[in-house]
Amino acid sequence: MKRLTIQRALALTAAALLVATPVLVRTQASAAAEMSEGVLCDTDPNQTFSLTARDGYISTPDGNSIYMWSYSNSKRGFQLPGPTLCVESGRQVTVILHNSLPEATSIVFPGQQGVKANGNPAQPQFDSGGSLTSLVQTAAATDGSVTYTFTAGSPGSYLYETGTDVDKQLQMGLYGALVVRPAGHPNQVNDRADSAFANGKEYVYLLSEVDPDVHLAVERNQPVDVNASKSRYFMINGRSMPDTLAPNNAPWLPGQPYGALVHIKPYDAVTNPLPATIHYLNAGSVNYPFHPHGSDERVINRDGHALQGGSGEDLSYLKYDLDVGPGQTLDVLMDWRDVEHWNATTNPIPTQLPAITDQLLVGSDTWFSESGYLGTKNAVPSNLTQNNECGEYYHIAHSHALEQATNYGAAFGGMMTVFRIDPPAGCVSQ
Amino acid sequence: MLEATIGRPNGRAGGINRLVVLSAVLATALVVGLLVGLKLWSSPGDPGSFPSSVQIEQQYGVRFSRIAVVGDGGLITLTYVVLDSEKATRFQSDVGHPPELRSEARDGGTKRVSVMKQGHSLRAGQTYYLVYQNTKGALRHGERATIQLGDLALRHAPVL
Repeated sequence: MKRLTIQRALALTAAALLVATPVLVRTQASAAAEMSEGVLCDTDPNQTFSLTARDGYISTPDGNSIYMWSYSNSKRGFQLPGPTLCVESGRQVTVILHNSLPEATSIVFPGQQGVKANGNPAQPQFDSGGSLTSLVQTAAATDGSVTYTFTAGSPGSYLYETGTDVDKQLQMGLYGALVVRPAGHPNQVNDRADSAFANGKEYVYLLSEVDPDVHLAVERNQPVDVNASKSRYFMINGRSMPDTLAPNNAPWLPGQPYGALVHIKPYDAVTNPLPATIHYLNAGSVNYPFHPHGSDERVINRDGHALQGGSGEDLSYLKYDLDVGPGQTLDVLMDWRDVEHWNATTNPIPTQLPAITDQLLVGSDTWFSESGYLGTKNAVPSNLTQNNECGEYYHIAHSHALEQATNYGAAFGGMMTVFRIDPPAGCVSQ
Repeated sequence: MLEATIGRPNGRAGGINRLVVLSAVLATALVVGLLVGLKLWSSPGDPGSFPSSVQIEQQYGVRFSRIAVVGDGGLITLTYVVLDSEKATRFQSDVGHPPELRSEARDGGTKRVSVMKQGHSLRAGQTYYLVYQNTKGALRHGERATIQLGDLALRHAPVL
């Protein structure tokens, strides 16, 4: 009897575990999938999005907590910036805005034509005295709503942002990215075939700034003097360095879901022929001269329009410092090319390798793997396991207005991240 | 006798026993699943569970607050809160002796540290950070690590 009972019990236990295991595995797999890199799009088959303007808090790397306003998917909680809306060119887009903020707000869609609000042409609003109150119809304070519709314009990236009390509400965080894809070509930036990018290698860099004094005043319902504003935090996708290096949906940044790490392999005509694409958008009030070290980037779109002549000639250009003006967007292609083909055996670098990289940041060996060769590591000190994961490269990318590369004045921080370049065969820990 | 009784599939007692066994096994599986789930949820991602060391705080003037694997697995950020500005400034300036991060699950560690820039007047109450190269994937999400700082060690720190 005991044997039979034990066998049954074992069988039942096994069955129960078979039932339970996928649940656990799925939980872990889901968590892993959510911890990802690259753009996270909100999409919808009907291109209809429900956004809620709401308040919440973000954290900064120096330990500060900032009160913010932002748009969020109505089914999710607060996030900064607003959801990245990815749509297809030429199709109707519907954005339903619900407002839970204590004052009226709205959304304008710069670059989109024929925008309607509740079925009427979107247009500026004035009070009874003739003063401008909003650039577009609003959703009333606390519980109002308004529905915007438009036909998605030319492929590229665009801001969507508040059109109401813009100086204050934009500073408070009411902005997001709209990525318009070419119909039938989701892996192209625009309608040109030469704008194709590698699958999964698409990144949004939504650049912005925060003056904590303005946010504290709004939180305390005190008057706001935007003319006296001085921003102290500068962000990529609502995060500052080093949080920009963290993956999407990092659990310690619950209201800041978007990372800013570019992760690619070197260009290869056969195995890796397509570049990555980065959409730069400036939701702030000043220029952000964004400066990726290591390689130029090819600017192919500005403000959602392909850089080409009347006959379709290519007017794109390589740029080392990307000046992204307020309200402007730039779409670029970027790759990393092993131009010199340095090889420790067959083509050694004809100079003594430095003991440092191009920046002496902390110590004499920072950001250096003891080897200048991608994917190669030299002998390591005995107290180290290895120099880095697999001999990969990291290139700093940051705003070259250096006060924007700080966390409230403390370098290095702010509008800064890294581009990671893995060896051609991928990163295998050695 | 009992064995024979239970062995009969049409026996009432056998059916009840099977139900009891089935219920017990499923209940056990449920409890185990919940415990595992709670374990997964509560550690090491719970920021409240980060350990502290009075000795480290007194000697170095800092309280470590987070270890996170970032950079798609290639980098690690170590954040700390400044408690004593003078001690913390000395800690940050001693670039030859950065804290070493060691996995508690396997051999391996890293002390290859970079950023942030030295020379700040570190303010009490403010958070600062170090970035490490994640040497050979020395640390991984979801495990515990030891922060070794001279002769002092802060053990069982969760790795996010």
